[in-house]
Amino acid sequence: MATHGITRAAGTAMRTEEARQQQLRDIDAYKELVDLVNTKITERQYTLEVLGLATKLLKQNPEYYTIWNHRRRVLNALFSGETADESSKHAVNDLLQNDLQLTFALLRQYPKCYWIWNHRNWLLETAELQQGADVGRQLWSGELLLVNKMLGADSRNFHAWSYRRSVTAQIERLTPRAEGQMTRSMTESEFDYTSNMVKSNLSNFSAWHHRSKIIPRLLNERDADTEARRALLDSELALICEAINTDPFDQSIWFYHQYLMTTLSPDCPSQDRIVLDLNNSDRQRYYENEMQYMREILEDEEDCKWIYEGLLFLAGAYLEFDNGTKIFTTADMRSWLEQLRRLDPLRRGRWEDLGRSLNL
Amino acid sequence: MSLVSGPGRGMASLPAETRLVVDKHVRYIQSLDTRKDELEYWLTEHLRLNGLYWGMTALHLLGHPDALPREGILKFVFSCLHESGGFGAAPGHDAHMLYTCSAVQIIATLDAFDELEAHMEDGRRKIGQWIASLQDTATGTFAGDEWGEKDTRFLFNAFLSLSLMGLLDLVNVDKAVQHVNSCVNFDGAYGTSPGAESHSGQVYTCVGALTIAGRLDLVNQEKLGAWLSERQLKNGGLNGRPEKTEDVCYSWWVMSSLAMINKLHWIDGEKLTAFILGCQDPDLGGLSDRPGDMVDVFHTHFGIAGLSLLKYPGLAEVDPVYCMPRDVVQRCLRK
Repeated sequence: MATHGITRAAGTAMRTEEARQQQLRDIDAYKELVDLVNTKITERQYTLEVLGLATKLLKQNPEYYTIWNHRRRVLNALFSGETADESSKHAVNDLLQNDLQLTFALLRQYPKCYWIWNHRNWLLETAELQQGADVGRQLWSGELLLVNKMLGADSRNFHAWSYRRSVTAQIERLTPRAEGQMTRSMTESEFDYTSNMVKSNLSNFSAWHHRSKIIPRLLNERDADTEARRALLDSELALICEAINTDPFDQSIWFYHQYLMTTLSPDCPSQDRIVLDLNNSDRQRYYENEMQYMREILEDEEDCKWIYEGLLFLAGAYLEFDNGTKIFTTADMRSWLEQLRRLDPLRRGRWEDLGRSLNL
Repeated sequence: MSLVSGPGRGMASLPAETRLVVDKHVRYIQSLDTRKDELEYWLTEHLRLNGLYWGMTALHLLGHPDALPREGILKFVFSCLHESGGFGAAPGHDAHMLYTCSAVQIIATLDAFDELEAHMEDGRRKIGQWIASLQDTATGTFAGDEWGEKDTRFLFNAFLSLSLMGLLDLVNVDKAVQHVNSCVNFDGAYGTSPGAESHSGQVYTCVGALTIAGRLDLVNQEKLGAWLSERQLKNGGLNGRPEKTEDVCYSWWVMSSLAMINKLHWIDGEKLTAFILGCQDPDLGGLSDRPGDMVDVFHTHFGIAGLSLLKYPGLAEVDPVYCMPRDVVQRCLRK
């Protein structure tokens, strides 16, 4: 269907007669296999043989969602046919391991195929139901290795990031609480994971996003007091400002900076705030510091539109608490807007609207 | 009736066209069901019904609504309908929300609900009830099928289909709206589920669902508009997330969302038009993800729908929520 990134020339070479004949034979073989699986499923032949045929078909076409459904029908039948003795437990385990291997191999090949991820999730849930919480916890923990491999190959794969969030939630659910602990949380290790990810690639917006979701939880679970919260905000600002300094043209970084600034706003819902007890002069001080920093980097990067956008964002926020000690003038704002118009004509309609909303 | 598979067979690396080669796109779409001697045709059977919606809608927007036989289309669509009220991708394929939505869009566009009733007694209501059965009563979201995968795509499919049939009252709209609202991120955009990264495709489904529910007041339109406008790259094309490459299909996901919040003027329409036109196969028709790549009916449809939103001359007007001809949507919603 949606062919992505395949050049037209590669797909359009004239086929020789021999290649055409081969393709017709391939079509016949494929259709025969499809018919065979569908017929046997219609006859409710839920057997190991049919499972094998489905494997063959799915390796050829992992997007064929109905065959994944058939596969689960067969597996459910095989699971429920077993008794509770030791040998059948092995059989269940073998079947699960077999499908874990199959989906692992297919995900490496087709990392964006929804149906493979779905099947894998179903396998893990089913394994827990079949074999109990201990086995479930072991299996879910093992999934982190898979996710790390998938994100190692493509650090922006949103299927892998979603699966990661689901896997950590399952591990937390299944891990017994230690004495005196509220929960066995993975928040700290997830926070560290995002630190490593953004350090190796500042452009990884997926990692910055994940970090923004982790931080409020992290602070709650640390039972952080006001000092600890301010320290975290300051260290996040230091981190992102260093990133801006490294590559001021990378929008991932600017969105994360915007996130941090958003948490300062009185409109920010309390569960999303980093520091809980900011007053307006605290806010102004943060805005002033950030503006000061941006004006400094502007000296070397006067053609970076993100800086002007950041300055105008901060100016708008600052003006909500203006106490007469203005650190910028309306003329400054006009000149920043003028720079945006000059540097970023693609979005000129937006800059017109911004000028109107700021009365510039 | 299949319109899914089949790359164009034209020569590569021709200069970008400056006008839409309408006749060639019509012929490309018409040719898609005749390519049964290509393995790709069979490997994409799981997308038949989507492909039919994409191809047929593109033809309507191109001003050639009769380029495919109405009877043939309906016969195929009804052959995918299960007793349960759900549609599969093709005969013998299991029912799923993704195909049920395409089926309802096709039936609505062809004004064929009477034929549906003739094919299956109380068919419209059965489809509606099947869709409603997939709502998770605890969270308000929707599964794609009996196996339970949940995603804001399916919630949108449900709202879109039900509203076209006048059956939105079969589901808990408020609960679903709350769920969509829980998928919003600090950047004002939306993900597949609560906690997931913002993604333009998901923005389209979430803002589309909120538009149908009449709850655009929940959207931070300034922030979302800013994030969406930053999807446009120097070459005029749009990407789906920060720091990713451009792709014609995002012309639709991003632009339709901007249109829903009245901020289409926040990107450069002329440059985007040129980018989309440059993705045509000027010899044999069809559009691809990027200039010079293989064409397919998915990108052909979303590229043409994008051009329609950009008011490209001669195209029928597209509805930004339903991705169908606007007059069709207005007819359905009036009923």
